[in-house]
Amino acid sequence: MYRYDEFDAAFVGGRVAQFSDQVRRRIAGELNEDQFRPLRLMNGLYLQLHAYMLRIAVPYGTMSSRQLRKLAHIAQTYDRGYGHFTTRQNIQFNWPKLKDVPAILEELSSVEMHAIQTSGNCIRNITTDQFAGAAADEIIDPRPVAEILRQWSSLHPEFSYLPRKFKIAMTGAPNDRAAIRFHDIGLQAVANAAGDIGWEVWVGGGLGRTPMIGKMINAYVPHEHLLAYLESILRVYNRYGRRDNKFKARIKILVHEEGLETIKGQVEAEFAEVRGGVLTLPQEELDRINTYFAPPAFQELAATRIDVAREAILDPAYGRWLERNLNSHRQPGYVSLTVSLKPIGGAPGDATAEQMEAVADLAERYSFDELRVTHEQNLVLPHVRVSDLRAVYDALVAAELADGNAGLITDMIACPGLDYCALANARSIPIAQAISQKFASEERQKEIGDLKIKISGCINACGHHHVGHIGILGVEKKGGELYQITLGGDATENASVGKILGPGFEAEKVPDAIERLVDAYVARRESPAETFIAAFRRLGEAPFKEALYGAG
Amino acid sequence: MEILTGNELISGATVYLDPRGQWVEELQEARVFAAEEGEARDAAIAATKATLRIISLETEKVSVVEGLLVPERLRERIRATGPTAPVLDRQHLYEDGHVSI
Repeated sequence: MYRYDEFDAAFVGGRVAQFSDQVRRRIAGELNEDQFRPLRLMNGLYLQLHAYMLRIAVPYGTMSSRQLRKLAHIAQTYDRGYGHFTTRQNIQFNWPKLKDVPAILEELSSVEMHAIQTSGNCIRNITTDQFAGAAADEIIDPRPVAEILRQWSSLHPEFSYLPRKFKIAMTGAPNDRAAIRFHDIGLQAVANAAGDIGWEVWVGGGLGRTPMIGKMINAYVPHEHLLAYLESILRVYNRYGRRDNKFKARIKILVHEEGLETIKGQVEAEFAEVRGGVLTLPQEELDRINTYFAPPAFQELAATRIDVAREAILDPAYGRWLERNLNSHRQPGYVSLTVSLKPIGGAPGDATAEQMEAVADLAERYSFDELRVTHEQNLVLPHVRVSDLRAVYDALVAAELADGNAGLITDMIACPGLDYCALANARSIPIAQAISQKFASEERQKEIGDLKIKISGCINACGHHHVGHIGILGVEKKGGELYQITLGGDATENASVGKILGPGFEAEKVPDAIERLVDAYVARRESPAETFIAAFRRLGEAPFKEALYGAG
Repeated sequence: MEILTGNELISGATVYLDPRGQWVEELQEARVFAAEEGEARDAAIAATKATLRIISLETEKVSVVEGLLVPERLRERIRATGPTAPVLDRQHLYEDGHVSI
């Protein structure tokens, strides 16, 4: 893992001291809220419905055991004993007191973490594939480049006041698990004709009130020119992005309104100016960063076949977990495993301090001290020996973290919604809980197979509803909550935006509506191997619309 | 009918202006401003702003149902009690969180 150098340590330490003084001045009445609000937001401190919320960055979703233990300690000492992992691979605490925030930031800095740039119109946390550096299908580990981008974008003086926030996601694998086509910039590792690895660059994707699939602006940018190329995109956006209308300020609107070719021309002109200059990445620097992400000291093991069918007979719950929660590792004898934060009836993405401690212990003992946060609000132990799986599973059972439901209908994304969020129009978590309980039966979940439900409590789409195979959007209607259902969204390399099929549903009717959709799918699929999204694409919306609203 | 609500600076807790000019946790203790009391309401807002201790200050429409104040917006009903899923207690004021105008 990357370790802070003196520059990182200095700027994080400096910011803690600066913000601590700002908090002191605010409490003393030397600053009013209008003056203080932008300062606290620059440090990730929001005001939500019930209290402040502190959003802490987890760079490219990678953490050490020590860092997760610190988050557990913060949850226990300064908050209410739990944290909420988000779709940006970050963690949020919902109950901090203003006077405690300087101490929290000081604690975070001691483990090389902070909350800088988790709010505001700047470049936010760079997200990646949660299996980066481990996945069998990966071309290259994207995290060294993500770390370079983190350093480049941290406190970047030119890009601290962009027209709007700016999100970058990257994947080193052809199977996109990082939703790169729905980010302001998406980066996908590719090889050119000579076999050299570089980056395919996508621009102008996003969710929110105007969902858009990103467009490929460059099919191949070499490592050494990536910073210059991204800086060129940011400069064009900073110059021409709209500042007159918050709802049209994201780069997706600029690309859409001006057209990809126009933007590409402007980016290329800028790139011609900066290419080969100070932003060129020296190979020795790339090598230096790469050493931090060198593969851990794997044992040389024979490829190990896991007899899931046998294990399922001996222990059905363990069998289900093996079947659903493992991802193939590049190193024979190892796997990556998903720690589900989606217990039946739970709040998606929440973990107690005790659970964080348990996962930290497992990461330390069984996963080379490393773990990941996923954008689907789960945790990952990236490097686990196959022979250790039973021991890890048993420990997860003890921590109530052993749900074998990764990628199944109960593995939902949900934003905090109106239970917490000041922007929300409707609650998300109770909807997720009700659906989870409706489909609690393991047999039923297995019968349905891969299905992604994503729930947002407002049009800002933090719950990624546009890219849910089934998306649920809560809206306010006549003082109450109403839920629109979309179908056909997909956040992967087969990117698509879901469509609304008809009128919304009251909260208590949503689980039954979802069940009718699921029943329609199961009845019409060609075989159990045909997933929900594949069946939807083959069948079109008609049978699902009929399932929701009847034949009329 | 309207009430005044906001969040207390230190704890971030939801608070309401009561008839004594104190910012309190309990919705049912909130002072209700009738339509013709706009001047008094605006004076209370100005006095509150001067304390620098109440943030996200808003007026909220309420009605009285069976003797209880009920905010019109669901958002405000949730703010008054705390998250519903799972049900959690609302944030409370601390010793240094009492504000009056």
